[in-house]
Amino acid sequence: MGDSGPGESAPRAVLACGEVRTCLLPTRQALDIRAAAQFLGLRADERVLLSERPNLYARSPDILTGVDCPLPTANGARVRAVGTVAARAALTEGRVLQTSAHFRLPADGPDQRQPWGHYLVRPGVVEPLGKLSHETVAQGVLGGGRHGELDVGLIADALLTRLLRHPLLDQRPPLRSRPTRLRWVALPAGPYDGPSIERFTLAEDELRTVRLRVPEGTPSAEIAGFCDDLALHDWLLTTVVRVLDGLTLGSQEPPARGRAGAVQDRPAVVRVVRPAVDHLLHLWMPRARVVKDLAPLWEVLEERPGFTRQWQALVQRIRDQLTLHAIGSLYREVELTP
Amino acid sequence: MTEAVFRETTAEPRTQAVPLSHLSLELGHLYMEDFEAGPQRLREHFAQVRPWAEAARAAAAAARPGGRRPRISTCFLIDDYFTRFSSPAELVPLLLAEADRAGLTIDYLARESGCAVTGKVPLAQAVAGRIVESPPPGSYGNRPPAAQTGWLANGERSPVARAPQAMKTAAAWQPPKETAARRHSVFLDVELWSDDPDGHRTFSCPFLAAVWQLARLGLLRNEGEPVFVPQPHTASGFPEDWDELPALVRLNPRADPFAAYRTCSVMPNRFLPVEHAVRVILDQTEVDRGALRQVAERSAREDMTVPDSVADRISYVFYAGP
Repeated sequence: MGDSGPGESAPRAVLACGEVRTCLLPTRQALDIRAAAQFLGLRADERVLLSERPNLYARSPDILTGVDCPLPTANGARVRAVGTVAARAALTEGRVLQTSAHFRLPADGPDQRQPWGHYLVRPGVVEPLGKLSHETVAQGVLGGGRHGELDVGLIADALLTRLLRHPLLDQRPPLRSRPTRLRWVALPAGPYDGPSIERFTLAEDELRTVRLRVPEGTPSAEIAGFCDDLALHDWLLTTVVRVLDGLTLGSQEPPARGRAGAVQDRPAVVRVVRPAVDHLLHLWMPRARVVKDLAPLWEVLEERPGFTRQWQALVQRIRDQLTLHAIGSLYREVELTP
Repeated sequence: MTEAVFRETTAEPRTQAVPLSHLSLELGHLYMEDFEAGPQRLREHFAQVRPWAEAARAAAAAARPGGRRPRISTCFLIDDYFTRFSSPAELVPLLLAEADRAGLTIDYLARESGCAVTGKVPLAQAVAGRIVESPPPGSYGNRPPAAQTGWLANGERSPVARAPQAMKTAAAWQPPKETAARRHSVFLDVELWSDDPDGHRTFSCPFLAAVWQLARLGLLRNEGEPVFVPQPHTASGFPEDWDELPALVRLNPRADPFAAYRTCSVMPNRFLPVEHAVRVILDQTEVDRGALRQVAERSAREDMTVPDSVADRISYVFYAGP
């Protein structure tokens, strides 16, 4: 949680917080890398970062939002804080759009608000006026603040809303899905400890919360990078589970009523499952862009709840369905042929 | 840390560095009215500037540890954006002669329209995209209240007075509020640009002056590349058309680098309101992070103190004069 402002004067951060929005890009075709660069060009003079290995990935420059408000706290204590929240957008394989807002908090800050230029040279840092109990704030952030308290989710939302209006999007998504929200906090780990996940919670309303411990000096952009990756894969699981939920199995297969009827009714399985095959199955690639120091965090998630295990089971189920369907249609072909 | 085996250059941010002096000393702005006032005006101007320029040099030398010679470059800005007048061939030799008469050397000459668009880079538009408005207290991540497109304030504007309905008294006037006020406000609302009916945008003088300050502080980049790079003056004379003159010309081949850790501008006090506006703009502009870091690292290696805040890196001498 280091890499603070230009001067040496910036105190080290004790808490990093953020929120990620993940959704399907509402276009019929995935955006290619050039279109992605155009789509994410939030600033005229800054490049969109483009990567083609191990998958297509584009990330916008950071944009800042100024805040001056109380921080959410678990015990209702009022701590005013001033600074900037950094937000960025990323597009994976031209198909999944994520907006992510984050900031880090030093343990204490100046007693009164400084000239705004002081905060602009510390991008993504929000300084408390006075001292801060980072545990209280961490709990407050994860629990969701009250109205008027710092809300990074709103900032991620605003960027998402702005991007979803982009003229490059035809607003015709290939499948139905819901956006998810992932809210995270990262506290410093012990002096000799590696990173760890203390809690990962699936809550209602597509909200996930993550509480991390990271070694001191881990840049908050890297933590945000891990959380983006986690949010992406959690969204993939959520979305594919829902696709399969929409599939009532076995009996619903309409009885064969002749060739024309079969062609119309039969594709129930294919119609439901195919968009997932076309647009989602190739996106699974945990840790693709997680820095080495934070990669061990994934191992915990693979152990329990077992992200990749569940994904493989889902993929296998989809393939089985398609195979059964293929066999079924062959069987009917045989039946219909005198 | 071990070196990564695999790298993708398009996936990494990169920012090219620019050479830096300790001080960029501006010897003046020239507008059409100055030119129309005749060479006498220029002569008076440089005579007024001379002692202050020397004072600025002495102050820069005093700030340099170990009595080493500070790197100082001088510059002069000509307005060719708001009004086109004269020609480089006519004006520049006159300007140089008058500076020389006062014992001043102009190292770099810049055209104001270069602050709007340099080559093909829409510089002013890009800087406009970097404005991060100072949040009034109570901003919690919601949309900024009543952002006025094309305007930038140093606080909260007065609420818009609506026409009172019949039988209702009009709402009492609410004052605007400077966010960084000390007890009382000095509220300033700056017009950054205006658009004509054809959609043609004209940037305001304070906004271009803010871009000019960022250029002098070495903090402008376009996709990581330096912009507003000085071109050597190789021809014997100066062109007939302003467009043929590079946006920034190095007139003195032995000059120290154009960009510097700090700037100082010597100008008549009629520029005071413009320069107040420049500070309001710079205080709310997020500059390229790579460039900011490079300046911080280089100045630290030289034991030079550079203020964190960009607006605090600029200084002025206002002399009494037209």
